Amino acid sequence: MSNENTFLVALERRLVSRQLPRGGWPFLAACGQITLEPTCLALLALRLDPNTKAQVLLDAQRPDGSWGAFAADDGPSGLTGLALLTLNTLGTFPDAASHAADWLLDAKGREASWIWKWKFRTTDTRVRFDPDKFGWPWEPGTCSWVVPTAFALLALKQSFPCCRNGQIAYRIQRGVDMLLDRACPNGGWNAGNGVVYGRPMAPHLDATAIALLALRSEPRQELIERGVAWLRLQSSSCSAPWSLAWSILALDAYDEPIAGLQKRLAALAERDSIEDNATLAVTALALDSDASGNPFEVIA
Amino acid sequence: MTRRTALAGSLGLAASAAASLPFLDPRYNHDHRPGRSRVAILPAAEYSESLCGALWEGLRLFRLSVAGKSVLLKPNLVDYISGAEINTHPLLIAAAAECFRRLGARQVTVAEGPGHQRDTELVLRATGLERQLKQQRLPFVDLNRDEVVATRLHAGYSGLKRLWLPRTVLGTDFIVSMPKVKTHHWSGVTLSMKNMFGVVPGVKYGWPKNLLHWRGIQQSIVDLVATVPIHFVIADAIVCMEGNGPLAGTGRRLERIILSDDPVAADATCARLMGLLPERVPHIAEAAKFLGNVSPDRIDQVATPLVSPPAPFQTVEEFEHLRENAGPQPAALL
Repeated sequence: MSNENTFLVALERRLVSRQLPRGGWPFLAACGQITLEPTCLALLALRLDPNTKAQVLLDAQRPDGSWGAFAADDGPSGLTGLALLTLNTLGTFPDAASHAADWLLDAKGREASWIWKWKFRTTDTRVRFDPDKFGWPWEPGTCSWVVPTAFALLALKQSFPCCRNGQIAYRIQRGVDMLLDRACPNGGWNAGNGVVYGRPMAPHLDATAIALLALRSEPRQELIERGVAWLRLQSSSCSAPWSLAWSILALDAYDEPIAGLQKRLAALAERDSIEDNATLAVTALALDSDASGNPFEVIA
Repeated sequence: MTRRTALAGSLGLAASAAASLPFLDPRYNHDHRPGRSRVAILPAAEYSESLCGALWEGLRLFRLSVAGKSVLLKPNLVDYISGAEINTHPLLIAAAAECFRRLGARQVTVAEGPGHQRDTELVLRATGLERQLKQQRLPFVDLNRDEVVATRLHAGYSGLKRLWLPRTVLGTDFIVSMPKVKTHHWSGVTLSMKNMFGVVPGVKYGWPKNLLHWRGIQQSIVDLVATVPIHFVIADAIVCMEGNGPLAGTGRRLERIILSDDPVAADATCARLMGLLPERVPHIAEAAKFLGNVSPDRIDQVATPLVSPPAPFQTVEEFEHLRENAGPQPAALL
């Protein structure tokens, strides 16, 4: 076994050891609350382990088809798309997946309603965006943002690889339009405010990477190219594992060289003990992307 | 004008009126205002190791009782943009930690949940705070990712009856809000009270914490501060931000640190140091009805006197009425 493999196995073991007795993972190693995002990322990182089961996700699905952000959460989370993508990756669960897809097709950012569209067009114009181009919010009753929209797009594209019609095609196209509309003028994405009061805002590595993953199967165009170029440049000096790992997964999907970045990520993960389980999981996914594939590379 | 435009306009006006209603109807049960509040304006020309000495002398003026208590330092870490004065300076945070340890605190923790940047570790590294945390062996909690507990709000301005809040914050004996003094394009100013948006967890409310915007930023600030008490304020006003804050404004030197045992008095004083009128900032004005003091008559300046700047801080157009010598306050904000 090579050094890289040994290290990866150690990361995955650490992840397994931090699983809570009821299944699932918290963000912070010291906490005891099952949380959706680290749980999904850990399940994806451990997807090839025969002991990895989707049951914890199936158990946590809400009656309306969505997932809460954490155990005891009584509302739907904007990361329901990530949960559906995870479920689809782990196996075939037609009822749960179809229920989740229905929820996603129904959920939308608040700017999708005509009255708020009107407000954002006429009186509230400080953030530059086109309210006709909407995606998915973090919380019901709020605006669409980049990360939940990108995960919802990945899940829907993966769930409906072909024969998209009606509402499915409409929501996917609207979500893609929304991501392109919210891009930062100089390349990349942040939470979703590209220009505020006429000033271009700075992009973030992780949001850029997740948006690019969601746009991977779209025709290449200038905004996407600019995002890839920005990510390539900025990730070369990034020293934070979470952002670097997401950058690797996106650049890998766009066939960019990632070996040097993986080496740096491994060094960072070896030097610092990663306490955050979501970061640990996405690090394992990024280090393993060339050997075991990239679960976020949805080509459909 | 078409019939549809007229209808849309009427509904828009109705929505705006509904948004301002909460401030017309007091939504608090208890009056927590102290009879008098104390504020210390400390001169501090630069960020250096010597801040600790100045801060220690300032804290001694307040005779704080923190021995044996857990202390949570809540700095303002929003994002890292090279050259922009966005975040509370790491040397001030380190100085505060050292002072509270010297005062006998059982545990000092630094905690924050940035509102824009999901990668908190990246912000810690890029700002240099991570190095300070390691040097001082200070624990840091990412409040966006902490365990959360459903918490009933102690005021009702936002209409949100409850929020999920981090266990670390709820379990702390003594909370110190450490804002970076800035203007803010949505709330006018971001000081010790607005800084508490950082305790609202991203894990539930996302990045940004957009629910608070929809429920009214000013209203949400008051609800939050009524629920999560700020026991002390250490405001970084050495280099501040004016204009299009909190991210895209311009650095402006005030060369001060502001300390207070009352967040309302602290924010009122910071606003006055910025040449702004605190009574016109809706969340400060409303908090002054039940959480603290805004009137100079009720605030003892226990260090250097309060002096307005030669020119008020620049703001975005919507908040120009906050500037001293501005015209009358727009009726819609009253």
